Parts: sequence; structure tokens; C-alpha cells
Amino acid sequence: MLDIQTHMDYVGQSKAERWSRIIITFFGVVGLIWGAIVQQFSQTVYVLGVGFILSSLITIPPWPLFRRNPLKWQKPVSNNEQKQQTSESGDEGKKKKK
Amino acid sequence: MHTVLTRGNATVAYSLSVLACLTFCCFLSTVFLDYRTNANINTVRVLVKNVPDYGASREKHDLGFVTFDLETNLTDVFNWNVKQLFLFLTAEYKTSENLLNQVVLWDKIILRGDNAVLDLKNMNTKYYFWDDGNGLKDNKNISLYLSWNIIPNAGLLPSVLSTGRHTFKFPSEYSVSPI
Repeated sequence: MLDIQTHMDYVGQSKAERWSRIIITFFGVVGLIWGAIVQQFSQTVYVLGVGFILSSLITIPPWPLFRRNPLKWQKPVSNNEQKQQTSESGDEGKKKKK
Repeated sequence: MHTVLTRGNATVAYSLSVLACLTFCCFLSTVFLDYRTNANINTVRVLVKNVPDYGASREKHDLGFVTFDLETNLTDVFNWNVKQLFLFLTAEYKTSENLLNQVVLWDKIILRGDNAVLDLKNMNTKYYFWDDGNGLKDNKNISLYLSWNIIPNAGLLPSVLSTGRHTFKFPSEYSVSPI
């Protein structure tokens, strides 16, 4: 099977949200100015629509760009090590075994 | 923001908020504008008849016949918050029965992009000029004026009165000839 990653890490999520806000706001402001120049409000709406599409393409799919800071999980503890740890930990471990 | 759907939802919601904000800006940019312009109105032929008003009481009421010239330039009224204008020509007069009578005689819709320079000659009225009694004959002070509703993209629906009224009088005899 194809191994398609669908998650974003935490840093990526924050980046994606910030960029979507920046892109849409920027296109909105540009659209407002352009619409005021040509005196056509529909142009403003179209420019905002372009911003929406662009922002959707950039920030909605989980691009690799948003997966650069994976969480550092601790290594899984194997079964043998767990037994050693419990035996080393002394009285409490023994009581539990009984 | 952890799945595609939540990000899509946030993007759509934010876009719509921005759109509402822009629409409000558009409204703010036009709300204080002065839309009044001048209109030259003139009457060509003025008659009054005394005929039964079958639409109301069947009694004989005064019916005015007016043809008019109208000349105005409404190009400056249009901006990015005006979709169309609804022009209407009103006759306003006073009778012994009513202090204020207003009758709409004619109207016209001008869409954005249409020719907004009007130069109409010898136009017939679109609607009957009925008085609800006999107040038109020999009435010395009938004033005609043009006004318009502005249909906007967003905001108020202002009704604007043009500057420039035309005052005329009806003849003191009923006309008997057919129009």
C-alpha cells in the first residue's frame, strides 16, 4: 500500500493556520482596493475567491512542509527491560507479583 | 487544525468573515455620498377630463393627461454600491379636500451599464393621473418632480429627490375631445 501521511505536526498546524489567515486577508485587502479603483464590487469578491482557492491549496492538504517537526517520542520500553525495572524497584514490585 | 476537514472549515469560515467585512467597507465608502442631481422637467400638453372612475367609486372624477419632457444625467449616481436605479416621476398638488396629493405618473429602471443620460421628449405618462375628486380642474399649482430609489449591493435603500421641479397648471375647462 501507498504510505500517504495525512497528519500535520503541531508546528505545521500553527503554520498552516497562520498562512491561511495571511493569504485570505491579503487577497481581501487587495480585492477591496482593486474593486474601489474599477468601481466594481464583484471584482472584490472574485479576488477574494482567488485568495480562498490559493489558501485552500496551500494550507488544507498536509504537505510535507507541515511535517518537519515531528514529535520526539520516547523509545518504546521492551518487555525484558520492564521486568528488570520492576525487580530493581524493590518491595513494591514484589508485592504486586504476589 | 489537525485534520483536512477542520482546516477546510476554518478556511471557509474565515473567508466568509472577510467577505462580510469587505461588504461592510463597501457600504461605508458610499453611505455618506450625496446622490442628488439636477433634472429638467417640462410639460408639453396638459388636459383634464371628467370621466367615471370605474376603478373606484364609479363617480366622475378628474383625470389628467400630461405629456412631458425629461432631461437628466444620472451617470454620476452610479458607483460600486449601486446595482440599479428606480426612477419615478411624481405629481404633487393640494386640493380643497386633501392637503397633500401625490400621484406617480411614470417610472423607469436603469440598470448599471445602461445609458444613464436621459433626454426624453413628449413622453406619455405610464399611469393614470386620477384625482380622487375634482381637484385637478383649474388647479394652479401642480409640481412634477423626479426621484429615485437606489438599489445597492449592501446597505441602505435610499430614496433621492432630484433638484429641479416643474410647476404647471391645469386648464379651467374640461376637455371633451377624445385623446
